[in-house]
Amino acid sequence: MPETTFLDSTELVLNMGPQHPSTHGVLRVILKLDGEKVMGTECVIGYLHRGVEKIGENRTYLQFAPYVDRMDYVAAVSNGLGYCLAVEKLLNIEAPPRAQVTRVILTELNRVASHLLWLGTHALDIGAITPVFYTFREREEVLKIFENYCGARLTTHAFRIGGLQYELYDGFEEQVKAFCDMFLPKVDEYEELLTNNRIWVNRLKGVGILNADECKEFGVTGPVLRAAGVSWDLRKAQPYSGYEQYDFEIPTAQNGDTYDRYGVRMREMRQSVRIIRQAVDKIPAGPIGKTPKVIKPPVGEAYVSIEAPKGELGYFIVSDNSTQPYRVRVRPPSFINLQALDRMVRGGLVADVVAIIGTIDIVLGEVDR
Amino acid sequence: MAATPWEGELPAALKQRFGDQISECSTYLGQNFAVVKAEAVIPILEFLKLEADFDYLVDITAVDYPNRTERFELFYILYSFARNERVRIKTAIADGYKPGTATAVHSVANWLEREVFDMFGVQFAGHPDMRRILMPEEWEGFPLRKDYSIIKQDDRWVKENLGIESGQ
Amino acid sequence: MNKFLRSIFLVDLFQGLWVTFRNQNPKYIYTEQYPGERPKVAERYRGAPRLNINPDNGETLCIACNLCALACPETLIVVGSERNEQTRRKDLTTFTYDLSRCMFCGLCEDACPVDALELTQDFELAAYTRDGAIWDRQMLEEGPRPTRYKF
Ligand code: SF4
Ligand code: SF4
Repeated sequence: MPETTFLDSTELVLNMGPQHPSTHGVLRVILKLDGEKVMGTECVIGYLHRGVEKIGENRTYLQFAPYVDRMDYVAAVSNGLGYCLAVEKLLNIEAPPRAQVTRVILTELNRVASHLLWLGTHALDIGAITPVFYTFREREEVLKIFENYCGARLTTHAFRIGGLQYELYDGFEEQVKAFCDMFLPKVDEYEELLTNNRIWVNRLKGVGILNADECKEFGVTGPVLRAAGVSWDLRKAQPYSGYEQYDFEIPTAQNGDTYDRYGVRMREMRQSVRIIRQAVDKIPAGPIGKTPKVIKPPVGEAYVSIEAPKGELGYFIVSDNSTQPYRVRVRPPSFINLQALDRMVRGGLVADVVAIIGTIDIVLGEVDR
Repeated sequence: MAATPWEGELPAALKQRFGDQISECSTYLGQNFAVVKAEAVIPILEFLKLEADFDYLVDITAVDYPNRTERFELFYILYSFARNERVRIKTAIADGYKPGTATAVHSVANWLEREVFDMFGVQFAGHPDMRRILMPEEWEGFPLRKDYSIIKQDDRWVKENLGIESGQ
Repeated sequence: MNKFLRSIFLVDLFQGLWVTFRNQNPKYIYTEQYPGERPKVAERYRGAPRLNINPDNGETLCIACNLCALACPETLIVVGSERNEQTRRKDLTTFTYDLSRCMFCGLCEDACPVDALELTQDFELAAYTRDGAIWDRQMLEEGPRPTRYKF
């Protein structure tokens, strides 16, 4: 709590959202203000609650896969990967190598797309209008690859349990390589626009600090945790889908403020491109995997998590040896990261709230499920 | 593949410290879990946090088994950054039993427990803010219970607030 | 000192402005003039459903096996069939497809054993009424007829 001022004025309660452009969806934040200082917040969420977990209990394993794309709709491929891995774990099967490498390429492309959307909207929130046009232009190229591969741009439903549904199209490698070559100079361009820009720096430096201990206490993962100096990435810590074969670094920063999180995400995009380049060069030949005819995992439960663009995305599935899951629990990174919002904005200014909501990178579809 | 006993230092330490409050330590598909008594959950979380470095509470969730006397199973998933290891704590509680809150040990438990309450109706004793989180405040019924059908809704709420007969 | 000079001469701002200036180049124009110019969607695009007919005799390819209806997570496909006494097979009578609930996941298409049901490249699916989004067999066989605009 900030110290009370001698002009002890009464608290002002300000309602932000749910129809506010900078809350990135239907998030409502009730701010308690003392002048321009934020004394406390309360998040009201659930406007987009569709009961995804309940739907999961009433669909077969295969049928539930398209629904998970609709949680974090800017990173649908990651959602699908996590779900497929969880069911594969329960069935004790593994996708063939060709499928795994393809999965890695598409998920990393999706990470780039998700970070690009974040960068554009975050900059827009701070008042920089230009980057959003550029990032959407590059994101379009990623979406075109998705569209060519599986026929959908956002809610891709790209993977199936046990492997892939679609064989790679002709020219996939070339298109992905061309994207990588085109993309890296564009990242430099974004950095030219923002990294040294005085308004950007002044708005972000020292805002919304969350140190490593607080991150762990609040279960915050993803770029927010890495910006606080914890070099932890599930792709390295508990590799899945063959991530151990690729050579990449985990970008970290020390201060844990909004500016550092920006830097971490920018470097993460470059690392993603690095992974994609390595993966495209060695797509093995072979089968792409087949969905088992009957998916009836033995009784038991498993928790599988992956490093989604926003943090640790986990699926906890309980099976009762029927074709439908007994319980599907999704551990959504956005939901849990959003909880730390209160800690980050306390004592800051109202204008910083917008910056901080942007920097956590939430997607309300995932917060509310 | 059935669950196999989980052996090592950690389950031994747990068993030594908590004795018969831990009924099972097993591994299934390479994932370790301990089945414990409901009263022991919070002390175990504390023990694991302070003495075994399990400093990150990944998730709290529940599963409903309407035919059992101890109707709900609560799951606490923990992770340790230092050991790069996951552990699941599992406990069974009856409907109406109020398990203790984990908010004092891990702040992240706040919203997670609210969600469990929202979806299953499990109240956590001592929780600072035990309200619904995703569903509307006045909603009746707990959607993720097994006896709550997928097309069920709180008709009164829908009529009053949305002015329609059904959301379906 | 260097830093001071940089901030006096607004180096950071001009750097950014130079980026925006470079992007004025007409070759960076991305805007598509829809609907005047119709975008070309990918070959595998999952758009409007179509029930394929045999081009030789105009008969439907569908064997009324009902697999698509079972595969669909939203159970929005209803297949009506009638047993044909002569061929001892089921003949398709009606086929309804509720587009308003479809999420274009492609599971029905994957399930079809004879490739009768297909998601095509048509993407203009708006209708004036809710009922207009429910497609019957005839509509599914003919496909949508979007208005073409000329500018
Ligand atoms: S695309 Fe998916 S939702 Fe639509 S009809 Fe086919 S299976 Fe059902
Ligand atoms: S799966 Fe194919 S053949 Fe079978 S009913 Fe559907 S459209 Fe007809």
